[in-house]
This record gives sequence, structure tokens and C-alpha cells, in this order.
Amino acid sequence: MAQEEGQPLLSEISCQEIAQWASAYLDEHVRDERKRQIALHLAICTGCETYVNQIATVRDVVGMLPKAVEQPSDSQRLRQAFVARTRRSPSGG
Amino acid sequence: MNVEVSTVTESLSHRMGAGRKPELNQSASVANGEVALLARLRQGDEGAFDALVTRHHSALIRMAMGYVADREVAEEVVQDTWMVVIEGLGRFEGRSSLRTWIFGIMIHKAKDRGVREKRHTTFSSFESADDEGDEAIDPSRFHQSGEWAGHWAFPPQPWDDQTPEKLLASQQAVTAMNRAIEALPRTLKDVLILRDVEGVEAKEVCNILKITETNLYVRLHRARERVRQAVEMYLEGRPSAV
Repeated sequence: MAQEEGQPLLSEISCQEIAQWASAYLDEHVRDERKRQIALHLAICTGCETYVNQIATVRDVVGMLPKAVEQPSDSQRLRQAFVARTRRSPSGG
Repeated sequence: MNVEVSTVTESLSHRMGAGRKPELNQSASVANGEVALLARLRQGDEGAFDALVTRHHSALIRMAMGYVADREVAEEVVQDTWMVVIEGLGRFEGRSSLRTWIFGIMIHKAKDRGVREKRHTTFSSFESADDEGDEAIDPSRFHQSGEWAGHWAFPPQPWDDQTPEKLLASQQAVTAMNRAIEALPRTLKDVLILRDVEGVEAKEVCNILKITETNLYVRLHRARERVRQAVEMYLEGRPSAV
């Protein structure tokens, strides 16, 4: 294979391991040594760089999905209960 | 080589801690806002109560659905949760966030209801099967033996820079992602909804679900990987398996 230079670094941590660590890495929940290994691997492995980028995209897009704004089916009853409780103990005690 | 390392590190680093910054700021302001919200709730401010319900109701329902038989029961569980919140507001001491407290009540009620409906054994076996046993990503995508064992045999194909916008603009893609989320086993769905959909910080998710951070990231990554697969299938024009 043409990646002789990269091979010793790549062998420090495999692509399969990178794939397992991707979310923890993105959220910076990995130890410094692991972070260094992953960063070095990502620098020379387009497959893993692509994968980690895709996980980051998923994370971001999931947070932006349109949310259904739902109300309780019996919101009137809840509001009445809330008002009643406040009247019972106005200071909340 | 050094140039390459710094370039890639920079290109990904903006997606790491920095990618979360808007949400971290949001969380901080939510936390500050929570003190004021709690004060208003205790004064009987109905607007504050409506805001609280609106902020959390959908996520509560979505999570409750994982514990009980159907939507109707989930709604009852969440309605009961709100009643407990109303009664308990005066005693709430703020040792956890308001959100952690509310979600904790819901999970307790939903589990209780699930047990009464005898769904407990069903979702216990779900948990053991989907928690930490299997690989997050299909092992057949990697070389299994030889010099390149553990390295990509079938690497993912890059998505372009416009992918997030394209996905969000496509009803079909949004549906595919939502279906993938709804199809997740409960333990994976809970973490994805709290962390990625609601933007709750990792430590608070752990408090709500009573799990370790290591466990959180195992589950979260499995969940994200399943949604990633759904997006990959959508982009490649393959029919969704879900």
C-alpha cells in the first residue's frame, strides 16, 4: 500500500476504534493521550475524518429538526391545579 | 505531514468543543433563567407555568412512550408528572435543575406504569441486547484480517458542506431521521433526545438517567450512528430499513 509513512501512526489506533470513539471525541470526553492518537489518525485517514464529520453533522442536524410543539391534552385541568395550589400556599411553602 | 495534521485538526476542531458553544451558552442562560422561572412559578405566575409545560412537554411524551404501551398512557404519565410538579414546587430545593427533577419524576412514573402493564420484562431484555453488547458500527465495513485489519474496507462517502441544510429542507430526509430516532431502543433514544434534541449537557443527562458518562457516550454514539445510517441511506437513494 502507498501509505508507508502513515502506517505506524495508523496502527496506534484502528479505524474501527476511531469509529467507536467518535462521539466522545467530538464532545471532548476523551483523555489527552487518546485525543492525541485520534487527532493524528484523523490527519492521515480520510475515511475516519469523513466518518467523524458525519457524526458531527448528525449531532447538529438532530438538534435542528423541527419540533412538534405539543400541549397536554388536559392543559386546562393542569392550569387550574396550578392556580389552586398557589392560592393554597401563595409563598410556595 | 505537520501541515496536514494541523489542517485537519483545525477543520475538525471547529466541530468539537466549539461546535457545542452556542448550546453551552444556551444552557447557561437557561440555568440562569431557571432561578427566575422558579420564583415566578412559586408566585403562581400562570404564564411561567405555561412556558414550563411548553418547554418540556413534547420531550417528556417522547421519552415516556419508550416505557409504556401507547401514546394515551404516555400522556397520562406526563399529565400525572405535571400534577406532582405542581404539588412539589414549594418543596423543590433546587439541588438538581428543575428539568432534571421533572424528567426524574416522569421516568419514575413511567417505569411504575410500565411494570404494572407488565412491559418490564420486555424492555429489560431490550436494554441488555442494545446497551453495550454489539458494535456501534457494522463490523463488515472494516477489514477483518490481514495487514489492514481494523481499517476501513468500505469507508463512508463524504457528504458535502451543504448536507445539513439539504437534509433539513427535505421532508423525506426529516421523516427518515425522525423514523430512525423513533425506532431506537429506549436506552439509546433517551440519551439522543436529551443530549442532541434537547441540548441537555452530558452531566445533567447522566443525572437524569442515572448512568455514567462512559455509558452515556456508548449509548449516544450508537444512537447517532443509527441516525447516520438513515441519512446515508437517504443520500444514496436506498430505501430505509426502518
